[in-house]
Amino acid sequence: MLAIELTGITKRFPGVVANDDINLEVAEGEIHAICGENGAGKSTLMKILYGMQPPDSGTIRIQGEEVELHSPAQAIELGIGMVHQHFMLADQFTVLENVILGAEPMRSLGRIDFDAGREHLDEVGRAYGLDINADDLVESLEVGERQRVEIIKVLYRGAEILILDEPTAVLVPQEVDELFRNIRELKASGATILFIDHKLDEVLEIADTITVLRQGRTVGTVKPDQVTAHDLAEMMIGSELPVPDAGESTVTEEVALELSGLRVAAEGDRAVVDDVSLSVHRGEIVGIAGVEGNGQAELVNAIIGIQDPDQGTITLLGRDITHVSVRHRREMGLGYVPQDRHRDGLLLGFTLWENAALGHQTEAPYSRGPWLSRPGMRGRANRIKDEFDVRTPNIEVSAHALSGGNQQKLILGREMVAGPAVLIANHPTRGIDVGAQAAVWDDIREARSRGLATLLVSADLDELIGLSDTIVVMLRGRLVARLDPNDITPRDLGAYMTGAALEAGAP
Amino acid sequence: MIYAAVGVLVLTVVQGFDDTERLTAVTSSQAMLRWAVPIMLAGLGGLFSERAGVVNIGLEGMLILGTWFGAWGAINYGGWAGLLIGMLGGGLGGLIHAVATVSFGVDHIISGVAINVTAPGVTRFLSSEILTNYDGGSITQSPRTPGVGRFTFPFLAGGDLFGWTTPDILGWFTDKDWFFVSDFTGLARGLVSQLSLATMIAFALVPASAWLIWRTRFGLRLRICGEHPVGGETQGINIYLYKYLGVVISGALAGLGGAFIASPELSGIYLEGQTNGRGFIGLAALIFGNWRPGGIMAGALLFGYPFGVGLRDLDGSASHALLLVNTIALAAVLAWALYRRRRIDAGLAAGLGLGAAVWYFMSTTVPDWWISILPFVIVLVVLVFFSQRLRMPRADGLPYRKGEA
Repeated sequence: MLAIELTGITKRFPGVVANDDINLEVAEGEIHAICGENGAGKSTLMKILYGMQPPDSGTIRIQGEEVELHSPAQAIELGIGMVHQHFMLADQFTVLENVILGAEPMRSLGRIDFDAGREHLDEVGRAYGLDINADDLVESLEVGERQRVEIIKVLYRGAEILILDEPTAVLVPQEVDELFRNIRELKASGATILFIDHKLDEVLEIADTITVLRQGRTVGTVKPDQVTAHDLAEMMIGSELPVPDAGESTVTEEVALELSGLRVAAEGDRAVVDDVSLSVHRGEIVGIAGVEGNGQAELVNAIIGIQDPDQGTITLLGRDITHVSVRHRREMGLGYVPQDRHRDGLLLGFTLWENAALGHQTEAPYSRGPWLSRPGMRGRANRIKDEFDVRTPNIEVSAHALSGGNQQKLILGREMVAGPAVLIANHPTRGIDVGAQAAVWDDIREARSRGLATLLVSADLDELIGLSDTIVVMLRGRLVARLDPNDITPRDLGAYMTGAALEAGAP
Repeated sequence: MIYAAVGVLVLTVVQGFDDTERLTAVTSSQAMLRWAVPIMLAGLGGLFSERAGVVNIGLEGMLILGTWFGAWGAINYGGWAGLLIGMLGGGLGGLIHAVATVSFGVDHIISGVAINVTAPGVTRFLSSEILTNYDGGSITQSPRTPGVGRFTFPFLAGGDLFGWTTPDILGWFTDKDWFFVSDFTGLARGLVSQLSLATMIAFALVPASAWLIWRTRFGLRLRICGEHPVGGETQGINIYLYKYLGVVISGALAGLGGAFIASPELSGIYLEGQTNGRGFIGLAALIFGNWRPGGIMAGALLFGYPFGVGLRDLDGSASHALLLVNTIALAAVLAWALYRRRRIDAGLAAGLGLGAAVWYFMSTTVPDWWISILPFVIVLVVLVFFSQRLRMPRADGLPYRKGEA
């Protein structure tokens, strides 16, 4: 019996075919993984299956019945539940409120029966070994806990088909183990699980069946015992996966960026960055590892100058810049690749050449005296386009016409052509495809060999280990470990990030 | 309650300095109450809209619609009908705002401003078509409107209970003229005697709103629209529906506030321009109250008080005394700011407080214009200091489109 059968699903967006005649069969009670690069159309396919977006053509069969899905409410009714890649939780709601929303147990007068809801939630939690306190505010939960809330949310309404969209993207290896244990328990109790991922070792570990998508098409369906990670990679991208590799060390003695005793306080005087001292030398890449929300964002903000530190100093090329404005820091040679390129990196409605000048608009050749120089801006933009391989018809198009990877190359190029002494790269390859990822790595490595000091913040542990000369681990605002990337595995690094290794008394 | 007592104590002391009794007079607390009602209703209106993620700067316009429809309804069908029809008028304004912002994705501020600009035009047109036909009506005003009944609490203020006149306990204390105690009871008695039923309903709406928003299914679904609409969508909630409901309720509450302004409680007449920016002050009360009903009520009373005092302050002596109250309040803010080491706040409080103090001691009365702008100045100053630690609904004012997650 097939739990899900998709036939000939096609979905077009302006300028792209996200799904092109996709066929997918998922048997009842199996863990079915869907693999593919970013942009291969996995998420779109899942949104179609969950009723969030209607397909342009094709049919959907659930438990053998042909259905037309117009809203998630319908999908929920059919027993489909989805855990989204980006959590769909309201921070200011309690766990209970988030879970019962849309399926509230009722009393008279339209009142919610919170007690009944709490009871049912605890029941579900116990049945699947998902431990969570119903009355905690979601805001106070850690990433792994939030994910558990998402899963409980789906189980609470009795879903029999679970869609998990890149559930491991935000987890450290230990949390992934926990998640996989939960998934196996779900399977044992009869659930069908659709699991999206592009980390091949994980897929091979958990899946019963694997379907690979490439550029919106189904490439093939295989069993994990018949293929290797190498085969899967070839199916996904048509060639081997690139691996970040630092190459020869180019670290010099000269300190480019130095932080000493840096402290940044959040509301209520709580330190979110606590006594951080760190130096980055010319030609060195220092990687900062840590579970998100442990002060990395605030540390970066303090260095680039948009958040004032309470204590400590920041020194750039021997000059104290602790209280220098953002613009002066940039003029002094500080480059920045922000974490969220749409929010902080680009003006999406502006042309590429305008975007190429952002943050450097006061410097030649972008401006002459008080006036902006259009020829200067266009010239630089063309140089960035050529040197950094930004794939675009011309520099007159607006930034949102570019794919994520090309947007990122534009940002990196913009920072690099300014010839910075120090680059702060905050998740530089997040959410971009494999080709662009490799290009970004190459650019950073090349700049390093020319003496650039780089502070790399990333959640991609392979990237951190492959690229960094030194890795420091940030936990609850403090630097808790300093590691050599040459003798650490992602698993060990994960243990440091959660604090497990420190508690166990490892070096 | 403690804050209220401290407040009254300050007022009493100041009153002792200055030659006025108006700060704690019964008429002042009653006026405060009447002035607070429309502000509070506008604020509660804003609450329902913004909890659903729609910024409603059009409250002023909805209030204006409420005054006209309220007066028209009251004149034709009586006081109660006036309140109801005022709600319908305001609700219509809310519906327009909902259509623009929710269905067509118009920027919330632009739609709200459009409503504020359009509403006076609509009411003027309606006046020219309808009110001019009435005896005593003209293009800018209506004949007198009838109101609804009144109620005096038994025992507390000597109201009737089944035909028996109960003792007037608070009145007894007030007559004793004891320092502070009599002042406090004087103010309190004003709050419980000769109370309009409309006022009582307005205050009953505060706990009712809290109950509706935090205890019911409707409320939970309304709040997800303001916090994380896409999250709600993925759980099968019809976000558009709840946004519509929130914004229409918002307009209806503002309309009720407008009808109240046109009722005998405040004016007893529809008069062009009579809302006097109270929709915006309602918005200020919403922010001051941190998007919670209890806080909105506190804000409305706080902002209503200087209006109530200024109303009969013909010689400016009471408003003059309020300068000293402001000085004391700013000194308290200064102490708090120093304790929390907030330098900018402390500097601002010190500067404003010093200014108020100098003005107070260099003069014996204040000019007319100061009496009329003082309430707005207080709103501004209060928001400057209080709006820093507030948390609005996360998705408030953000566009939402179904299926674009």
